[in-house]
Amino acid sequence: MVYIAIILGCVMGAVVGMFAPIISYTYSNYLAIAIIAALDSVFGGVTSVIKKNFDLKIFLSGFFGNAILSILLTMLGEKLNVDIYLAAIIVFVGRMFTNLAIIRRYYVEKWCAKIENRKKTNEEENK
Amino acid sequence: MKKIEKGKISLTISIGLTAFILILVMVTQFKTIEETDITGIEVMREAELRSELATWKTKFEEATAKIEETENKIIEYSQEIESNNNISELLQRELDEAKAYAGYTNVTGEGIIVTLTDTEKKQIEDLDLINLINELKIAGAEAISINDERIISTTDISNVNYRFIMVNTSKDIGRVRVQSPYIVKAIGNPKYLESAINIKYGFLDSMKSNEKSASYVIDNNITINKFDGSLEYKIATNVEE
Repeated sequence: MVYIAIILGCVMGAVVGMFAPIISYTYSNYLAIAIIAALDSVFGGVTSVIKKNFDLKIFLSGFFGNAILSILLTMLGEKLNVDIYLAAIIVFVGRMFTNLAIIRRYYVEKWCAKIENRKKTNEEENK
Repeated sequence: MKKIEKGKISLTISIGLTAFILILVMVTQFKTIEETDITGIEVMREAELRSELATWKTKFEEATAKIEETENKIIEYSQEIESNNNISELLQRELDEAKAYAGYTNVTGEGIIVTLTDTEKKQIEDLDLINLINELKIAGAEAISINDERIISTTDISNVNYRFIMVNTSKDIGRVRVQSPYIVKAIGNPKYLESAINIKYGFLDSMKSNEKSASYVIDNNITINKFDGSLEYKIATNVEE
């Protein structure tokens, strides 16, 4: 059910995005940082699902909060003439990689365990 | 059971909505980046703009220097043209003078008009005209004509069978016959001209003694026509100095 919702959301988003008007290049900077923040939240959500401590409220607040906060920080950086968005990107992408590593480790371990299980069952059958 | 289902539905909806928003924004961003001309000046970042401005500034300075150089060159050329104009003007003036000296221009000025007429007793001979022209030339006559035939450097005066007097030789006109009355016009200082022919034992005296008719008037405004033919040296060539 959740997977269907995700796929449906992705497809609809892609279709609507195809016909959406282009935004000004000036604001695409903010949008990019928001996307990075959102992606970070998504990977964080996946990791929390794996760790079995997923909370929808935290996920949603992180998803939108991080995006908006990163946009605001970028704007502030522009005003201060400091490239704050660089720090935001480093933090978000670093976290993304950490989360990805966790996800990878989980699935690889799961896969390996499966193979070992099958081997064991095969050996038992052979015996 | 029902509570769990409710929570699941809200979870599904919110996750789907999140995915929808995320993908929508991402696709929009992709499209924006793809369709924006990054080299366009409106979308350039500040640093890029700065370097671009510096480049243009250098280019502008170079162009300005080039313009200055070209302008200087133009001034130089125009000065050269001016001096060339001066030279050609000078040449034109010289050419005009040379033409005037060669008898290729109509001239006007003060001078004397001598009239020689055949009488029943005596006719005017070619030698009389030669003498008269010689005397006038000695007195400084600048332009002479006989019956409106201009006397130029190659003019000869000769008779044919002691009957006709011919003047001038040119390639296209050939000889021209002149007849009595012979009207000789000469431009020059009238006093000198008058005295040259009027002098004792001079031209008029010799004419009188030979019983030939000759008279003169001084005129302040004599016009002498130009020589109409063309001259050509067939044998003589210029010697380069």
